[in-house]
Amino acid sequence: MNALPRIFASPLARRLAAEKGLDLASLAGSGPHGRIVKADVESAKAKPVPSAPISGQAEAIPNTTLRKTIAKRLTESKQTIPHFYLSVDLDIDQLLDLREKLNQRAEGFKLSVNDFVIKASAKALRQIPAANASWTEDATLRYADVDIAVAVAAPGGLVTPIIRKADTKTVAQISAEMKALAEKARAGKLMPEDYQGGGFTISNLGMYGIKSFSAIINPPQACILAVGAGEKRPVVKGDQLGIATLCTVTLSVDHRAVDGVVGAEFLAAFKKLIEDPLGLLL
Amino acid sequence: MSDTSFDLIVIGAGPGGYVAAIRAAQLGMKACVVEKAHLGGICLNWGCIPTKALLRSAEVFRLMQHADSFGLASPNPAFDLAKVVARSRAVAAQLQAGVKHLLKKNKVTVVEGHGKLAGKGKVAVDNGPTLTAPHIIIATGARARVIPGLEPDGDLVWTYKEAMTPKGFPKSLIVVGSGAIGIEFASFYQALGCQVTVIEMMDRVLPVEDEEISALARKAFEQQDMKILTSASVKGLKKDKDQVTVSVEAGGKTSEIVAQRVLVAVGVSPNIENLGLEESGVKLEKGRINTDAMMRTNVPGIYAIGDVTAPPWLAHKASHEGVICVEAIKGLNPHALHPRSIPGCTYAHPQVASVGLTEKMAREAGHEVKVGRFPAMGNGKAIALGETEGLVKTIFDAKSGELLGAHMIGPEVTEMIQGYCIARTLETTEAELMQTVFPHPTVSEMMHEAVLDAWGRAIHF
Repeated sequence: MNALPRIFASPLARRLAAEKGLDLASLAGSGPHGRIVKADVESAKAKPVPSAPISGQAEAIPNTTLRKTIAKRLTESKQTIPHFYLSVDLDIDQLLDLREKLNQRAEGFKLSVNDFVIKASAKALRQIPAANASWTEDATLRYADVDIAVAVAAPGGLVTPIIRKADTKTVAQISAEMKALAEKARAGKLMPEDYQGGGFTISNLGMYGIKSFSAIINPPQACILAVGAGEKRPVVKGDQLGIATLCTVTLSVDHRAVDGVVGAEFLAAFKKLIEDPLGLLL
Repeated sequence: MSDTSFDLIVIGAGPGGYVAAIRAAQLGMKACVVEKAHLGGICLNWGCIPTKALLRSAEVFRLMQHADSFGLASPNPAFDLAKVVARSRAVAAQLQAGVKHLLKKNKVTVVEGHGKLAGKGKVAVDNGPTLTAPHIIIATGARARVIPGLEPDGDLVWTYKEAMTPKGFPKSLIVVGSGAIGIEFASFYQALGCQVTVIEMMDRVLPVEDEEISALARKAFEQQDMKILTSASVKGLKKDKDQVTVSVEAGGKTSEIVAQRVLVAVGVSPNIENLGLEESGVKLEKGRINTDAMMRTNVPGIYAIGDVTAPPWLAHKASHEGVICVEAIKGLNPHALHPRSIPGCTYAHPQVASVGLTEKMAREAGHEVKVGRFPAMGNGKAIALGETEGLVKTIFDAKSGELLGAHMIGPEVTEMIQGYCIARTLETTEAELMQTVFPHPTVSEMMHEAVLDAWGRAIHF
């Protein structure tokens, strides 16, 4: 597992390098037998750290703890999890109609497309439980509950509050809960129990007009669903060219825990629920 | 002299010069030392070593006086000054013979006489041959500094040399200067029953030490009935038969102190005279030879190490510089000597030892510091020894955990300071020092506790 060569560095050099965010492996040691000492860390600090030159002036925005956590977790995810990606187009005309009707008669709530996406994901995971999983060295864990994490842009960076047991909740309940969590997230008031855990994540950039994208898996989960914008596109129905509102979603999958077929089965179930949305109200 | 051509010539065979020559020999160089007086230099013949022999006699005498507190009897302890001095000289002679043997073993040629630069790559020896080598190290050391009005006369006004070989034991002694040399002699004479008065220009004794340690040292010396005048300067000196009157100005008032002898210990002057330095174009600064970190002077092929260069004037600094100098000549790319990693020791009673920055220096350098202290009173071994006067103080950078300085006063601290020197050289932080297992019961446990205390974790206090 640990094939990296041992780096010889003094304890003080190690601590100073950690403080400055310097990688010891990038330093040349001037101590006995090439040992990295304080002076080497200090002289490295004097040099510009980025390997590519920064053009013009740059503003240094100090990294918050949240920013560092995001950086660390995502780097680890992208470097250690073998991702694969599955994309599918969803016809959401029926969903938009249903949403419109429900919102017209609704009192005290306004459902978003994303609320339906959460509900559909949850129901699909209940149908294909093998996708509601995590990889560990000893075993693949399959979750009993369907807890859906939803990426929310907060001022300090991305957070993922959780709708727990989303498969058992109505779209209206999900909508209300999501609204409260998003407000807490934007105010920086999420509590650990609001965001810790979760078996599956949804990241939706549709409201920004993004057609499709591939998200980085939120460890230790095995799947993340990236949702693009709903837009009118030409489609072939039968042998006729027609117009439909389509939305492209891409599922990023940890191949260690979930194989391609399971991911495809999940997406098929999900697509069916979205395209025939009355089932989501049951 | 059959052969006068060498790879390296060292002028001066003190702890800088002879070590440089041996290191050169180890590296396969044909080395030569030129010495005009004694192998081993001042350190071994008139400094570090013979004073330790004297101080050992003083320590045994002090223990004899306190024999009763150990349940022993030593009625009417007395000393024979001639024998005390003879022992000290014998120790020096034994070590001088040792250095001679070491040089011979390493096939280093020893040339007796005064060596002098005589043109590029040449050293002329008085009444001897002219030697040649591409590399020449000046290691001529230093001598006691003389200040006007306090010129030593070898009789009433002493330097360390007379203080080390007194003809009779003075009833009273004035020591001018409270650095390590002054304080060690003050301690020796006071221990044997002489009334010692120390006169120091600065506001505290051992002025290079941490202020807290200076204050503790002063308290301890005064409890031994030593008289100490600080912020005081000698204004005049009147000699009579077998006694001296010194007028001292302190706090705007002048007073007169009478004593049988005066020891002047106000630093040293580098030996730069009659070496051909000027003719060779070697640059001097403030009366000493200027060098870079690899001990090179401004003239290629000429190097200088030890007391003839920058302070501190310490034998172990000279030896290290000798090694660095030779290794650099051989292209071994040695690390420069870190001035803050050179320990300093004073073998008085109590002993004082330190390395690195004092607390004040650390704060002035802008460090956010963590300071730990541990008193000998809290150490079991120190209590068993009956040596409960003492303190170990550590100074850390609060953020990085770097050991910036360590300051100790008390039993065997001169033997223990190397522990902190190793820590500094290895660049350990408080974490490794805390993890280190110190043997129980030892006085060294104070060193561990002083580290723990800097983080509020001392166990025994």
